[in-house]
Amino acid sequence: MVRKNAKLMTALLAVLTMMMAAASTVTGTRAQSATPAATMSGPVATAKPGQKVDFTLLPKAVGNPVFAQADSGAQEAAAELKSTGKYQFVGPDKADVQQQIEFIKSLTTQKVNVIAISANDAKAVVPALKDARGQGIKVVGWDSPPAPDGRDVFIEQVDFSTAGQVMADMALDILGANGGKFAVLSATADAANQNIWIASLKDTIKTNPKYSKLTLLDVVFGNDDATKSYTEAQGLVDKYPDMQLIMAPTTVGIAAAAKAMQDGKLCDKVKVSGLGLPDDMVSYTKNGCAPEYALWSFKNIGYLTYYTGYLLATGAIKGAAGENYMAGRMGAYTIQKDKDGGLFVLMGPFTVFNKDNVDQFVSAPASAATMSATMAATKAP
Amino acid sequence: MNRFRVRAESVRELGLLLIIVAITLYFGSQITNFFSATTFQRIADSVMIIAVVAVGQTLVVLTRNIDLSVGSVVGLTAFVVGKQFAGNLNLSPVLAIGLALGIGGVLGLVNGLIVAYGRVPAIVATLGTLAIYRGLLFQYANNSNISTRFLPDWVVNLPSQTLITIGTLNITVLAGLALAVVIVFQLGLTFVPSARRLYAIGSDPETARTSGIPARRLILIAFIVCGLLSGLAGFMYLAKFGTITSVAAQGLELQVVAAVVLGGINVFGGSGRVIGSLLGAILVGTLEYGFIRMRISEFWKQAAEGLAILLAVAGDVIILARFRAYLARAQSRAHLSASTTAVIVPKQESS
Amino acid sequence: MITQPTHRRNWNWLQGRETLLAVIFVGVIFVNIQLSPYFLGVDNLVNVFQLSIEKATIALIMTLIIISGEIDLSVAAVMGLCATIFGWLYQGGVALPLAALLTLGIGTLCGVFNGMWIAYLGLPSLAVTLAGLVGYRGLASVILEEKSVSEFPDWFSALGQKNIAGLPFPPTLVLFVLLFAVFVGVLHFSAFGRTVTVIGNNKEAARFAGVGVRRTKLTLFIVSGFMSALAGLMYAARVGTVRANVAEGFELDIITMVVLGGVSIFGGSGTLIGVGLAVLVVLSLRNGMQLSNINGSVQTSVIGLLLVLSLLLPTLFHDVREARRRVKPVPPLAPPIADELPKEESQRSIKTTL
Repeated sequence: MVRKNAKLMTALLAVLTMMMAAASTVTGTRAQSATPAATMSGPVATAKPGQKVDFTLLPKAVGNPVFAQADSGAQEAAAELKSTGKYQFVGPDKADVQQQIEFIKSLTTQKVNVIAISANDAKAVVPALKDARGQGIKVVGWDSPPAPDGRDVFIEQVDFSTAGQVMADMALDILGANGGKFAVLSATADAANQNIWIASLKDTIKTNPKYSKLTLLDVVFGNDDATKSYTEAQGLVDKYPDMQLIMAPTTVGIAAAAKAMQDGKLCDKVKVSGLGLPDDMVSYTKNGCAPEYALWSFKNIGYLTYYTGYLLATGAIKGAAGENYMAGRMGAYTIQKDKDGGLFVLMGPFTVFNKDNVDQFVSAPASAATMSATMAATKAP
Repeated sequence: MNRFRVRAESVRELGLLLIIVAITLYFGSQITNFFSATTFQRIADSVMIIAVVAVGQTLVVLTRNIDLSVGSVVGLTAFVVGKQFAGNLNLSPVLAIGLALGIGGVLGLVNGLIVAYGRVPAIVATLGTLAIYRGLLFQYANNSNISTRFLPDWVVNLPSQTLITIGTLNITVLAGLALAVVIVFQLGLTFVPSARRLYAIGSDPETARTSGIPARRLILIAFIVCGLLSGLAGFMYLAKFGTITSVAAQGLELQVVAAVVLGGINVFGGSGRVIGSLLGAILVGTLEYGFIRMRISEFWKQAAEGLAILLAVAGDVIILARFRAYLARAQSRAHLSASTTAVIVPKQESS
Repeated sequence: MITQPTHRRNWNWLQGRETLLAVIFVGVIFVNIQLSPYFLGVDNLVNVFQLSIEKATIALIMTLIIISGEIDLSVAAVMGLCATIFGWLYQGGVALPLAALLTLGIGTLCGVFNGMWIAYLGLPSLAVTLAGLVGYRGLASVILEEKSVSEFPDWFSALGQKNIAGLPFPPTLVLFVLLFAVFVGVLHFSAFGRTVTVIGNNKEAARFAGVGVRRTKLTLFIVSGFMSALAGLMYAARVGTVRANVAEGFELDIITMVVLGGVSIFGGSGTLIGVGLAVLVVLSLRNGMQLSNINGSVQTSVIGLLLVLSLLLPTLFHDVREARRRVKPVPPLAPPIADELPKEESQRSIKTTL
């Protein structure tokens, strides 16, 4: 376990350095994550373990493995900080904003200290979250942000503005330096983060000459539904006979697209890439249908989210731009202000998976059993 | 009487076929290369799972009941079978498919018992089991996924296996399986006497009861068969998508009911044929694929689908009912109570 | 508030749907109080209602529709369409009150459209409103596409979010209570309500009754469209953001409430008191589970289980009692129970299910 973690950290660090270099050339504006404490301006807050913080991690929906990974990360942090409060992971059974509002209301009634939410609708959750904040509850957004006035701070998993470049890089890796034609298979048309990433991708291709040989043919939506994504992927192949790549920045879409290409015996002609879970994708990585794709660590998001919430609830940080704090094994972070006035913390880089490294990110075959075993292990202080 | 009903249904199905042909011609005029083996392949691909479930649903609807839990049954079966593979990659095909049928059958049995022997209205009972079965899946899955790495090659590669090739048309094993199910059940409903009794139950429960048809047992069997076929569809779902989450096949019931209604199965029971459901599913599949190819917003597709259902039902009632009434009058005045038409024709229409 | 059912010693009171629901409701409340110290807070009790006020509002008209032997699956889609149109109009610069009026008008039109097919052409409501469910949602998506509309004026949001000065509940809750009273009056104390019940009780006879029946059915569906539009407005006020997928899947919850309330899905019987109690049971049960931090998937299946058991258990009780009664007095000639049901029962089991 330890060795695996160490390996993972090395890999993360390697990618991180690469990303920092890349990102500074492109955006150059946003402070990078996990900055060495020495280079930070101002004091760095640290957590005092053993305080009572009732913390709830509220995902878009339960039943999705990536959110379960975030849960395991948050549990790890809770165990480290020895919080005497209650930690819980609850949510709706489908990504439905109405149910999520009901959960926010009931958590407000229970007067928990921290609600950490991945919002199903950035705006619709705001009135309920404002209520919660009015009663002194700290709101930490993660994965999918609530609008600025509904949150104290948002843990931005990766710099959204670099997502386009990461995708463009993978496209070049797969297609070769001469580029080629590709299409995007997205989730829903109203998914805010998807739209930001796609805009960033379009922008990257247009402005950076390095990617000028990439041609984006179309953007279609699979609604994060396996059936629809599968059919849309087939439709892309039929519409664009010269398409060489499907870029699917959604874990559901990328798996369905890869299977559609494999079933159609098209993997030699059309590759699949995007954002995917190694657990879902490993067989496609190895058979060449999806040679390269990226994602961030959901476990780390959970971990960092818990630390941030704990520090806010215990008053160690106030939740203001410019504050620095230590988040356990992940290092130091700074709260920054976004263009829209919302506060955020930038977590860290994408991890790019390919056949050389994918095995170390895949959980053991009896995943459920191992997962609960590690959970039990982390639960004990 | 049965002969006339069958003829009326043939007219209905012929109409549906003509609509499908017309739509295909329209798409063909708009999309280059639409008339190709690929198009056939795609539509067969997207229709096969719905078609298998729709056959089971047809049996249930014929008895004046409905099974809304099919989506949950498909999802639960796909997950459980996938999980067994995760534990044992060498699980034999016979055992795996047997397991899928078994799970589906048991879930269908539960539905059937609640409806036929517990006398809970089907729409309510299966609305309940829709939620319960899905809840079981969530508990069982415990936030995990089934992915292709857990599955043996024969399952993952099943969708790309071709059964027979006719000219440039490839019929895959799974599509062939779906077609076989449709044919077997169509023949069964036409020629097996006890299956024909399903019509009697649906069209006139009172008469069926007094003439000694074991209504409860037949309704139970219809639900079990619907469960079995949903289980089979669950296995096909697993093979087709490879990645199974706890929301797998959520909402499938609506597509299935839409196919059945489009296919001319009377929601009040008693009339309709399996072939009709298949055509209904094909119509939906053709619309979907055509819209994708034409790059028309999927939102319009939903609106078009709604309109299609409405027109199909309206066509049934307004045109077909008159046709049936005409047939009935022409053949015999004394003999018939025209029970098949009486169910759906309101007074003001037939006068 | 709740009658004491325990006076009588036999199981007859169990047959009374309202009594059964009242008992379940008291039970749920009792368990909730045990499980969570927050349950009895005024804020929470208001929340319980306020969070599902749109569903409860639509359940009122759905009760009448199901009693008349029909069903409306399109309510949530109409609600979504109306909320969408409301947002779209407001965004386009239409004054809010006017936009609200237009929205109610459009909802009513949807009702007219549904009702015409059902009442005058005799199409099955299940199929027509299934088409509506798909079609209206499609239209909503065509109008707003992926966009959302928010930032309605404060006075409007206050209707659904802010408490009336001095009282612990917002205006929409008052509106609902008024509507509930009106619907009770219409269903149980008016000629129209009697007609609705008669239609549901005897479709065959009602069919021959002619124009009155058609008009009644059309009226029901028109009111359904209007109420769905109203619910759309309530949603916009309460949540403050609308988009095309508003209220997706609400129809199942609404039908669950109505059927749990003892309204026969075959039509002909049911009371609004029962539905009111069922709404209370469902909402307090969900709230209790939320306060105990039970996940959404479990919540949904518990409600599903309640739905099935609430219909199954009384039937089973009845059967067991019947069997005993039958066995005692006539031992020699006990009827063969093979597949033959007592007449009344078999009719119930296979009478028009849809």
